[in-house]
Amino acid sequence: MNWEQELRAALRRHEPPAGFAERVLERAATESAAPVRRRRPWLRWCAVAASLALLAAGGYQYRERRLRGEEARDQLLEALRVTEAKLELVRKRLNRTSGAAHLETRQESRI
Amino acid sequence: MAEHWQALAAPAEAGREKDTAPDDFAGLVRRHQAMVYSIAWHFLHDRGLAEEVAQEVFLRLHRELGALESPDHVVLWLRRVTCHRALDRWRRRRREEISLEEAGELASAPQECDPLLEDRLRKLVASLPPKWRAMVILRYQEDLQPAEIAQVLNIPVGTVKSGLQRALATLREKIRRSMGGPEQ
Repeated sequence: MNWEQELRAALRRHEPPAGFAERVLERAATESAAPVRRRRPWLRWCAVAASLALLAAGGYQYRERRLRGEEARDQLLEALRVTEAKLELVRKRLNRTSGAAHLETRQESRI
Repeated sequence: MAEHWQALAAPAEAGREKDTAPDDFAGLVRRHQAMVYSIAWHFLHDRGLAEEVAQEVFLRLHRELGALESPDHVVLWLRRVTCHRALDRWRRRRREEISLEEAGELASAPQECDPLLEDRLRKLVASLPPKWRAMVILRYQEDLQPAEIAQVLNIPVGTVKSGLQRALATLREKIRRSMGGPEQ
């Protein structure tokens, strides 16, 4: 069997179904008649600019929130420090008061 | 533009195309329709799909004709785009590979121009892996040399040569098995 001949015979060209060219031309004409969408390069730049603006606004807002959060944390820490100092003061006074009362009690018992 | 169409519609390959003298896009379609349709049909083995692919290829040609420079360029472009479109369509479909069982059994030993054998061979070609299929179609339908096939498919010549050898060996083996030939 001569493969080359067999394959050439099997794969010879065939004409497409009748009316093929007419169908292609009809579709091409329809496509040509359809309104062409004009490209607007500035639209793309507008979209890019809008995206960048959104990104910048988001970044600014994030930064603001973070700063506010840090500020609130500092205030809270300061408040805790003040409270701790006050408590320490109260504790010292209590110690002093209880120490004096104890001394008075001992003196009274001696008498 | 009309001159551009006329120039591109001039015969590209002596002896391969019809001797019509088209002067517009219609002429280009009529001149190359058998080539485009046959590549798609041999690739997909489905006349409806082949016509769809061929129509899409010509519509794209209609849109991109301004970028093509010569009749030879048009032919190369058509072959390349048809192969790619057919491959895309085949991948999308891919529901069933044509197998030997579907190809049916031969009633008798092959004779010259045996229509059954031809049909069997077409089905077997359609069952090859897509790259090999494209190579075989371009080699035996379009009568292209390996270097030209490499140009159309945008792959190295060595790949085409080895692909063709392996595709033919596969076809030989399949047809031998289907005919109940002796084991080698």
